[in-house]
Amino acid sequence: MDNHYALIIGICLVLGLLSGAVMYLSDFCIAGMFRDLFLLRRTVMLRYLVLLVVLSMMLFELARQMGFLTLYPFPLLYSPTPANLIGGFLFGTGMVLAGGCVVGTLYKMGSGSVLSAVAFIGLIAGSGLYAEIQPFWASFVKSTTFFQGKITIPQMLGISPLIPISLSSVFGLYFISLWYKDRKLVRISYAKGYLQPWKAALLLSLIGLSSYALIGMPLGVTTSYTKLAAYIGSVLFKEHTDGLAYYHTLPLKYVHPLSGIRLQGGPGPGFDAISAIQFPLVAGIVLGSAASAAWLKEFRIPFGAPIRQYVSALSGGVIMGLASRMAPTCNVWHLLGGLPILAASSVLFLLGLFPGAWLGSRIFAGLVMKERRNDQDVYYGEEIR
Amino acid sequence: MNLIKFDIRSQICPATLLIALKEINRHTQSLEEGTVKLVFLTDNRDALTTIPESVTNMGYSVNVIKDENCYSIEVSGGER
Repeated sequence: MDNHYALIIGICLVLGLLSGAVMYLSDFCIAGMFRDLFLLRRTVMLRYLVLLVVLSMMLFELARQMGFLTLYPFPLLYSPTPANLIGGFLFGTGMVLAGGCVVGTLYKMGSGSVLSAVAFIGLIAGSGLYAEIQPFWASFVKSTTFFQGKITIPQMLGISPLIPISLSSVFGLYFISLWYKDRKLVRISYAKGYLQPWKAALLLSLIGLSSYALIGMPLGVTTSYTKLAAYIGSVLFKEHTDGLAYYHTLPLKYVHPLSGIRLQGGPGPGFDAISAIQFPLVAGIVLGSAASAAWLKEFRIPFGAPIRQYVSALSGGVIMGLASRMAPTCNVWHLLGGLPILAASSVLFLLGLFPGAWLGSRIFAGLVMKERRNDQDVYYGEEIR
Repeated sequence: MNLIKFDIRSQICPATLLIALKEINRHTQSLEEGTVKLVFLTDNRDALTTIPESVTNMGYSVNVIKDENCYSIEVSGGER
């Protein structure tokens, strides 16, 4: 293996391990943040997402000013299209039904969650499903893209990112200071080894910055899910999989900032830059979470959830996997990468995410948690004295 | 006092919280009278924040114990 690939794999594995541990210890569930807004009318966890986005925004801009971010905007970000909105909507629905987003599924699976493992299978299936509709969807994206060649809002306005980034950061910091003053950033938890979510937000913003500076782009995992689907497809249905145009595309073409080597990668089977970046990250998140759970003696593989929850996790995973290709890419890429540099596609994705999470919450409350006529079916109680 | 145990381990998020809230509402009268204590067994870390938070806001007492395989969240109405 080339040395530069070994370097990338090593960096991504470490970043993944750290992310998995941080997310597990703080239960930093982005899907839950949006879901609870609609299902429980709670905004408490969304505050930490705002904190994370604002911190990332400031750190990315600071690093850019200091010359650490040579790729700006980073690769795999495109001009806006309604596909971002539609993808965000579907993604929002899927992540609520799956019980976690694309990385939430990983850290929960790492701690032994069978439901998240089912959602992960759904994610791979949904990502593979996209390859079947890609020619149609790609032509829709092409015909509806606006501000062709412009990716971020500052690019569209023809101004330096410093001005809108500073204004957005000050606006965000104002709310964060109010929450801090009202002691709304600290949560009381009885979980062993609990990491306060504000600390998790700070650590994740530093992990995101490290990824951007060392790899050339922030954290992202979903193309690897498509790659897994392509691997499986090439074993089971080789001829059909080989004939799918999507698996022959190479959307990632860039110069790795640390080594200066030109890299490329795509969703098709075969080792490339996507494999070197995303597989170690995925493995790292799962292992980081598993190690944290084992350290706290909380690792276990539980079965026994109602069948409807497995169906919800699987269908949510499929929808989320499909949506992460349609959008394109996922919540982590858009919210923790694109939004901090004011990418217009990420703003559209976020706008779609809210109604999508609302719909997911309605389906979850109405179908997954619905009581049956025979109350005994949903009564979990056992009188013991 | 009657002790009712609910084994709600291995649930998808946020089913743990929703089930706990439903059972607390189902036993409101007994909790208020102090004749029953509800115990929820969970392996969901998020529930160790959300259930105590909700229960406290509802005016009940909460106590959490870590067992070998899971956490027990005890809810009683004694201090309401």
